[in-house]
Amino acid sequence: MAIDLIQLLVGGLLLGGIYGLAAFGLSISFGVLNVLNLAHGEFLMLGSLASYAAFVGLGVNPFLSAVLIIPPFVLIGVGFYSLLLKPISEKPPHQLLVASILVTLGSSLAIEDLTSFFWDRPVTGIPYSLPAIEFSGIVVSSLRLLILLFICALAVSLQIYLKKTFLGRAIRAVTQCRDGAKVVGIPISHVSALTFGLGVALAASAGVFYVTLFTVTPTMGIPLTVKYLCVVVLGGLGSLVGSVVGGIILGLAEALTAYYLGAEWSHCIAFVLLIAILIIKPEGLFGTR
Amino acid sequence: MNNGRTSTILYVCIILLTAFLAALPWLLVSYALVWFFLFAVYLTLAVSYDIVGGYMGYMNLGHSTFFGLGAYSTAILLNHGLGLAPSLGVAVLVAAAFALLVGYPLFRLRGAYFSLATFGLISLMGILSNNLRDLTGGSGGISTPSGDHSVAAYYFSLILAAGTIVLSHRLARSKFGLALFSIREDEEVARAFGIPTTLYKCVALLVSSVPASLIGGIYVWNMTYISPSSVFGLEIALSPIVMAMLGGTGTIIGPVVGVAFLTALQELLWTKIPYLHLTMYGITMVLVGLFMPGGLVRISWVRSLVSRLGLAEQIDYFKAT
Amino acid sequence: MSNLLECRNVCKSFGGLQALAKIDLRVSRGEILGIIGPNGAGKTTLFNIISGALSPTKGSVVFNGQEISKLRANRICRLGVARTYQLVRPFSSLSALENVLVGICFGRPDAPSREKRVKEALAILTFVGLGAKANQAAEDLTLVEKKHLEIARALATNPQLVLLDEVVSGLTPTETSHLVNTIRGIQQRGVTIIMIEHVLKVVMELCQRVVVLNYGLQIANGLPTEVIKNPEVIEAYLGAESLNEDEPSA
Repeated sequence: MAIDLIQLLVGGLLLGGIYGLAAFGLSISFGVLNVLNLAHGEFLMLGSLASYAAFVGLGVNPFLSAVLIIPPFVLIGVGFYSLLLKPISEKPPHQLLVASILVTLGSSLAIEDLTSFFWDRPVTGIPYSLPAIEFSGIVVSSLRLLILLFICALAVSLQIYLKKTFLGRAIRAVTQCRDGAKVVGIPISHVSALTFGLGVALAASAGVFYVTLFTVTPTMGIPLTVKYLCVVVLGGLGSLVGSVVGGIILGLAEALTAYYLGAEWSHCIAFVLLIAILIIKPEGLFGTR
Repeated sequence: MNNGRTSTILYVCIILLTAFLAALPWLLVSYALVWFFLFAVYLTLAVSYDIVGGYMGYMNLGHSTFFGLGAYSTAILLNHGLGLAPSLGVAVLVAAAFALLVGYPLFRLRGAYFSLATFGLISLMGILSNNLRDLTGGSGGISTPSGDHSVAAYYFSLILAAGTIVLSHRLARSKFGLALFSIREDEEVARAFGIPTTLYKCVALLVSSVPASLIGGIYVWNMTYISPSSVFGLEIALSPIVMAMLGGTGTIIGPVVGVAFLTALQELLWTKIPYLHLTMYGITMVLVGLFMPGGLVRISWVRSLVSRLGLAEQIDYFKAT
Repeated sequence: MSNLLECRNVCKSFGGLQALAKIDLRVSRGEILGIIGPNGAGKTTLFNIISGALSPTKGSVVFNGQEISKLRANRICRLGVARTYQLVRPFSSLSALENVLVGICFGRPDAPSREKRVKEALAILTFVGLGAKANQAAEDLTLVEKKHLEIARALATNPQLVLLDEVVSGLTPTETSHLVNTIRGIQQRGVTIIMIEHVLKVVMELCQRVVVLNYGLQIANGLPTEVIKNPEVIEAYLGAESLNEDEPSA
């Protein structure tokens, strides 16, 4: 019983890390573009399927594909931005809102529907395993441990990237003040495209881990995006640490719900958490929003 | 604003249309009746969506939850032997209570956050209707006592659609409507000028839930079967909104135009291509978003026609398109 | 007591930043009070607190003998406090008439009947010189017209106190003198006015009394002619050199 619970909590922690990583992608692109990408969840799904295909077809190790997947998905994100979001980016705020919701939600629907058209059965995890290790009596799957380490490493390198590089600084600058950033000569549309690409790639990379542990279905994208919203509201906008903590809270909450109420209820909990936060502490757990 | 003759022509058209629609059950086969019924369902949903989405500027992507709640409540009550009218009455109350319950926290979110959260309501309701098997029959859905209500349901739905249009029209000219418009324009300023914004937002959501839940009840009464995927699915959730957007939100005529346009298009396409309907919706949404977020009624020549007919209230909302 | 508005020991901080510290302010009925001070001195924050957009961290605001610092903005508006915004914020896609109607319908304790409302709204628009533009969308008006529209919207609430936030800035001399006349007209209606203003000429012309803020502190309070001679004010606000400039670039 207790062992089960611990296993479940570890699972929740991992799921939370995955959510946090993907949600951070959503949050930086919202910060820079002022557009909430309702198709964000689709990219996690696509990343999952791509790495699954790479593993089954070519035998690519999932840890390798978690890194290899980043460049092509950055390109996909840049393409998505240039084709669909750049044309509407200069519209006045209320039109931008309406147009961006239509464009991103429409793409989300199309991606979901096309994927399920071509890929009709759900993917139940990559059959990839590593020998388990025993840790003072508790058996821990070394795959899960490795994934956890990998997510941490990815988060740390991302944090360093955002602090040290030009793009990272530009992202933070544009998030704080768009006009000011423009005035000091930051090329907004380039930064927007790259940020969007980075956000998409983070989701796809998170998707690689997702598929090694959980079942992937083509229609999971939209509910996932709602979960990211919950994570962002929990952890605050634009903060990596906040996103990861928010993600972990959600992951653990889902694991506990599944344990005590049954797995069919675990997808509700994100929404319940969201409502609870909005009533109790609308500014999010970490204050500034 | 509008001169006498064009408005006379408009009224004559409306009267002729009403006569035609009223006579329809004697003229046509039942297939067409169902088609017009669904047309009225979409019209009711699109116009009632627009009260919150267009007038107030809060894109409530979860509007169909009211429809689904209305349908489920009515179905459950009909199965317990209640008549149609009391079932519908309770269904409206259930949806209204739900509107207040979720409206209060969700209206703390703005813009895209609000839209995404309300969109989440759909999956929440889907999960609930799947899981609460004793009440809803789970994923197998729920059947109501059979009987041919198609003619009565047809009339009911038309009356309800017309009623919703009248309601929306009245709202646009009322004090309450003015408050909704100013919330859309600038919520903080609206509050600074005496509008209790939180209250009004919740009331607007409540008002928009009433027609949606009623038409949901009539829908299940007519169709005698619903399932989580039919009333909490993406198609019923998004098509009225896409229709309202395509026609032009924040106007009365816009949703009507959009519903007519898209249902006609569906009729031409859907029967020929039996799959990838959601993809087509998706592409429509992307195209509307990219090229005319103001909708069909704001294309310049349509706009001048519409304003000549005196239907151009609030059309200036999307000036630049 | 004839004070219409009293701020007692009002403090406001945003995180670690002290935006206002211990502001004490008394405004008597019928007065025009000017508030001046360099950018970032906390002038608009003070307006936000009086009008209820923000609540003070400490202290109280008393209007007509009633404590209002805990009330929401919509309640305060109905009690008789109306404002304009530094960067104009009319309801863009609504017509000028509808903008004013919002004030009439919601900014008063009880709204007049439908016909009366429109008549009154037109009268107010005419008063500020926008009678001919009643049906034009607010976003199509020029900047001056938008500023007048904001004043009209504020007047529509039948206020006892109007807060004018830099209404003159960005206007030409002719436009300015027109607006100064309008403000006089408002005072003649028996409305008390607090105005934030950078254009000293206007302040000298209109205000009976001036309060100077600097870094959230109230550093002077008195007759306009006296206040601008106050060395502390000159140092803080105008810089060390000159008194002759009309529009110091703070």
